[in-house]
Amino acid sequence: MIKSAAVASAALMANLGSNFAHAAGSDLIRVGLIGCGGRGSGAAVDATSAAENVRVVALGDLFPNRLAEARKRFADRPKERFDITDDRCFSGWDAYKQVLECGVDMVILATPPAFRPMHIKAAVEAGKHIFAEKPCAVDPAGVRMVMEASDLAKQKGLAIVAGTQRRHQSTYLETIRRIKDGAIGELVAGQCYWNQGGLWSVRRTPEMSDMEWQVRNWLYFTWLSGDHIVEQHVHNIDVMNWVIGAHPVSAYGMGGRQVRTGEQFGHIYDHFTIEYVYPNDVRVMSMCRQIDNNDNRIGEYIMGTQGRSNCSGQITGANAWRFQGRGNNPTVQEHTDLIASIRAGTPLNEGRQIAESTLTAIMGRMSAYTGKTVRWEQALNSTLNLMPEKLEFGPLPTPEVAMPGRTPLV
Amino acid sequence: MIRTLSALMMMCLLAFALAGLLPAQEAKVPAGIETNTVKIPGTTVSFEMVRIPGGKIEMPPKEPGGEPVVVEIKPIWVGRTELTFEAYDIFYMQLDLTEDQKAAGVDAESRPSKPYGAPDRGFGHDGYAAISVHSRGAIEFCNWLSKKTGKKYRLLTAAEWAYACRAGGPPVKLDREALSEVAWFADNSDEQPHPVASKKPNAWGLYDMLGNVGEWVIGMDGKPMLAGGSWRDRAAQVHCGALVPYSIEWQFTDPQEPKSTWWLSDGPHVGFRIARED
Repeated sequence: MIKSAAVASAALMANLGSNFAHAAGSDLIRVGLIGCGGRGSGAAVDATSAAENVRVVALGDLFPNRLAEARKRFADRPKERFDITDDRCFSGWDAYKQVLECGVDMVILATPPAFRPMHIKAAVEAGKHIFAEKPCAVDPAGVRMVMEASDLAKQKGLAIVAGTQRRHQSTYLETIRRIKDGAIGELVAGQCYWNQGGLWSVRRTPEMSDMEWQVRNWLYFTWLSGDHIVEQHVHNIDVMNWVIGAHPVSAYGMGGRQVRTGEQFGHIYDHFTIEYVYPNDVRVMSMCRQIDNNDNRIGEYIMGTQGRSNCSGQITGANAWRFQGRGNNPTVQEHTDLIASIRAGTPLNEGRQIAESTLTAIMGRMSAYTGKTVRWEQALNSTLNLMPEKLEFGPLPTPEVAMPGRTPLV
Repeated sequence: MIRTLSALMMMCLLAFALAGLLPAQEAKVPAGIETNTVKIPGTTVSFEMVRIPGGKIEMPPKEPGGEPVVVEIKPIWVGRTELTFEAYDIFYMQLDLTEDQKAAGVDAESRPSKPYGAPDRGFGHDGYAAISVHSRGAIEFCNWLSKKTGKKYRLLTAAEWAYACRAGGPPVKLDREALSEVAWFADNSDEQPHPVASKKPNAWGLYDMLGNVGEWVIGMDGKPMLAGGSWRDRAAQVHCGALVPYSIEWQFTDPQEPKSTWWLSDGPHVGFRIARED
């Protein structure tokens, strides 16, 4: 992946990449940003600083005020990187379609995760390369959509890179390469954590409909974010799937909503613990928490028969090793790798990978919400579909808080 | 018998103290230096301050080749340690506000945003300097504490800071061995900050002026600067004249646009120390 710059120039000389009329070689890549919040805007800046000749030309957001904020944010940036005109700015529920239709080569998908499956599908159908923020779905129905779209992208020669940036971080890449080469022997067990304080929330104002408030305050509604185990902890779970080289066979978990109980926090949990069983009975304990004033811990640990590692720069045991130097900036590197792969005509496709990591997190949530053990096939084939019937501003009651033993497993 | 035991224990304690084995916090403030302990109203959290005497300090020229600037320093109260997470937690997590006050948006503009991830980076929390703090957070903390206490808290100026750091001594750079007695820096830090006051204090009883975490001060031009070097720096960068401006590198991996004005995603070496005027 990292060697893609070299690959890119080799490919250029070989005059490959003929499938990509609009984006091969060093041609300008025109980018549309769908979801103009802080992360989407950050990804747009990352993309334009990741390689030459990448220009953000279109913006889309559900909310006009969020769109306006982003336009303002980019107004003073160089025209060769941000050339955004009125006719390429869209708001409303169909803004993503309009961005896809306005002559872009690549889209950055950074809305709340609920919309990611339909955006990925639409972008692939429209023949666009994709940077998709994590997670890529909130329920099994969405995961399946992403898997199908990802396969179609492969057929069409389109790139999909996901916002699980550790996959592009030098400390992780070098460490996990060594582990896969046997540095800690046969893998036995792991632990992964994202335990931090609470995140931002959006207060409801009298003029907001249920739908508007929920989408603006999206972290706290499972249909929008997937709950924090999916929305945030997917980063660590993805590392576990990566280092072990498989998705889990089953999940057995618990969780609850103990401290963060106010109305503004919707109905999601504030803590989870899941035991994931992987092939060969490798067991991973996963913990995530968003409660203020607790001891924090964020990271991934893997144990083998000959040593252990934090997956990101340190190996102890028989083949002790430490990463030297500072490491790269992974949120820029993921765009560098994406763009180089497009230009080389060898598009990266991380669709299946992020779909599997997302489903791993979802099956953990399903287990914790219901109190039942959930097997991979059960999760993959589950009929659970959290998307409201109609996407329109209006009434939408906050769902009940899931109660293990009472909430059914579907 | 009991007396004997006590005497024996006293002797042991003294021996430990001489060997530097006692917790450094127990070390006495030098004679003639006033201290006081401040409890943050409505909380159980307190911190110690030291009143440093007035004097003069020569600061480097404002422009290369210019004249050194002599700055007069008035007596001022200085935090005995870098500000710790216990105190900063109350401020940034709004632990002093009721749910109703939070709902009403009390202080909404003057309190830090909710950090993404763990500002303490897993190095340690209670007893450790608050880190990952942008200058805005350091300044607003002082304003918040001033409001709470009715006293004027602020960051030190660069001149006051250098003066407090030297504690009446000349401007010297310590060699690695001497520095190791008073500071956590690259050679001894094991790549992380350490609990405050776990090295020896300076002549005025101030801990960790050198190393551990860099400390926000107000520079000669009014802009925030980071003073004293940190656990990441080599010995040559850890001295009373060490002063560096904000670097975008300290937010290298902040994935948001705009980047946070409260938190430094890559500032595990950035903290602050508070001062009080009266």
